Amino acid sequence: MFKDITLGQFYPADSVIHRLDPRVKLLGTVVYIASLFIGKTFFTFIPISVFLVMVIILSKVPVSFILRGIKPIIPLLIISAAFNLILTPGDSVIVRFWIITINWEGVFMAIFIILRLLYLVAGTSLLTLTTTPTRLTDGMEKGLRFLTPLKVPVHEIAMMMSIALRFIPILTEEADKIKKAQLARGADFESGNLMKRVRAMIPLLVPLFVSAFRRAGDLAMAMEARCYNGAEGRTKMKPLFYAGRDFIAYGVIFGYLAVVIVMRVFGL
Amino acid sequence: MSIIDVKNITYDYHKKDDQGNETESVRALDDVSLEVKEGEFIAVLGHNGSGKSTFAKHLNALLVPTGGTVYICGMDTSDTSNTLEVRKTAGMVFQNPDNQMVASVVDEEVGFGPENMGVPTDEILKRVDDALNSVGMYAYKDSSPTRLSGGQKQRIAIAGILAMKPKCIVADEPTAMLDPKGRADVLKVLHMLNKEQNVTIILITHNMEEVIDADRIFVMEGGKVVMNGSPREIFSHVKELQRLRLDVPEVTKLAFELKQKGLPLRDGILTREEFVNELRLLAKGRV
Ligand SMILES: Nc1ncnc2c1ncn2[C@@H]1O[C@H](COP(=O)(O)OP(=O)(O)OP(=O)(O)O)[C@@H](O)[C@H]1O
Ligand SMILES: [Mg+2]
Repeated sequence: MFKDITLGQFYPADSVIHRLDPRVKLLGTVVYIASLFIGKTFFTFIPISVFLVMVIILSKVPVSFILRGIKPIIPLLIISAAFNLILTPGDSVIVRFWIITINWEGVFMAIFIILRLLYLVAGTSLLTLTTTPTRLTDGMEKGLRFLTPLKVPVHEIAMMMSIALRFIPILTEEADKIKKAQLARGADFESGNLMKRVRAMIPLLVPLFVSAFRRAGDLAMAMEARCYNGAEGRTKMKPLFYAGRDFIAYGVIFGYLAVVIVMRVFGL
Repeated sequence: MSIIDVKNITYDYHKKDDQGNETESVRALDDVSLEVKEGEFIAVLGHNGSGKSTFAKHLNALLVPTGGTVYICGMDTSDTSNTLEVRKTAGMVFQNPDNQMVASVVDEEVGFGPENMGVPTDEILKRVDDALNSVGMYAYKDSSPTRLSGGQKQRIAIAGILAMKPKCIVADEPTAMLDPKGRADVLKVLHMLNKEQNVTIILITHNMEEVIDADRIFVMEGGKVVMNGSPREIFSHVKELQRLRLDVPEVTKLAFELKQKGLPLRDGILTREEFVNELRLLAKGRV
């Protein structure tokens, strides 16, 4: 069950997208997410699809990898589609039974929401699939540095993120180990109703948290022992520099944003 | 000047209750004094809770003594303006290889220390390559630490310290979580650094086989250093060690027991070769 988590997983390949500066990819992702919410009609999915497919092809990441990230959100998809189907107000009623009415507006919204979420997950997973956690956090740190005067702890947030990403595989492995240990003692994670299953997770989560805190303490000490002292006076082993392709990518991203906005303005 | 000069240090851990009031205090170090010269290979022995880790943390200014003073290359560790310099001089390797790694790629992990020290980029890259070569892990430069074996991870951790160019490495049970192969690899690296780069090594361990090649051994008990001497001196006191609940190497024990039974063997035999030679001499003497 823990193996399905693809969050933060990196797919090593030699592609233009992999080589892009992480700041470009971060901005691209933000613009892409924004475009999904700017679009109000099915037509906007034309430029969005073109953009997404283009990036996927350039990234050389197999489509199966991207689809794997979608699997865990299927329940979320079903729930949000169901709510939209039932709760969207409208006049063109299709069926009506008990207190539930289903109308064409609801069907439209449900499909729209599913598409939006699918595109959201597919697009954002590309960011982590093509960027190593370190480059990602380096990009965040440098890209958001303009916030430092506003007392936003940019370096600390970036460091926290990179450590979190580093410990995800360790903690998932540990969760699997604890689960097996509890199963061996007769714990039952599979049967019973939802409440029962949630309660069954407690003997799994408690040791996991305890161990995570112990690891955090150890790590903090190890970092301190290696002269870690926050951002001050720190140099970079692999500093970020823009290359020609990064400026081209910025151009493409803003062009794409312009297309989506123009479509929205013209009601398409 | 000795690289490590510990003068009469004590250290108390304070336990606090929910309101922050002190409930009890544990004396983890009790009037410890010792000196280590540059280039020495020191092993620290002692059973669980004898204060080894607490002592190790004092050498790196992770803890400062409640009483007494620790000098690292003449710098007083309790003076906070020395902290960074002390940590550059005495690097520390911990027991759990997973819990001391910060980065998701090996070379970035090794570069973490120099980055913190503000070393320029070109110099960091060079130091990382050198450090990885020293521990024989250069081929794994671009791998993820998660995929490595325990022994390999621990060698990466050592490389991470080496890249800071320390004069001294303090390793707190670095082999405790490793298999025999990983253990041997890590020890080989530590000995190599000691011989070839003149790095002072303080190795804390439970494993007797690991200490016989040390220059000196400190044995700790109840927060005190109770024995201090060369491996041969230490291991000639088998009775004393057993009283301290410490093992001795198998050969040493065998020789000790044979001697108890009346065989006129020398005290403090450490290796199998020595033992065999001793028996040969004995046999010759009889003929
Ligand atoms: N954080 C702490 N808070 C309170 N007491 C502590 C703490 N850490 C250690 N102690 C106590 O200090 C004493 C010395 O502990 P220390 O960890 O130095 O021993 P050790 O020789 O390293 O043992 P081990 O072989 O188990 O690693 C023990 O009695 C221990 O219970
Ligand atoms: Mg210890």
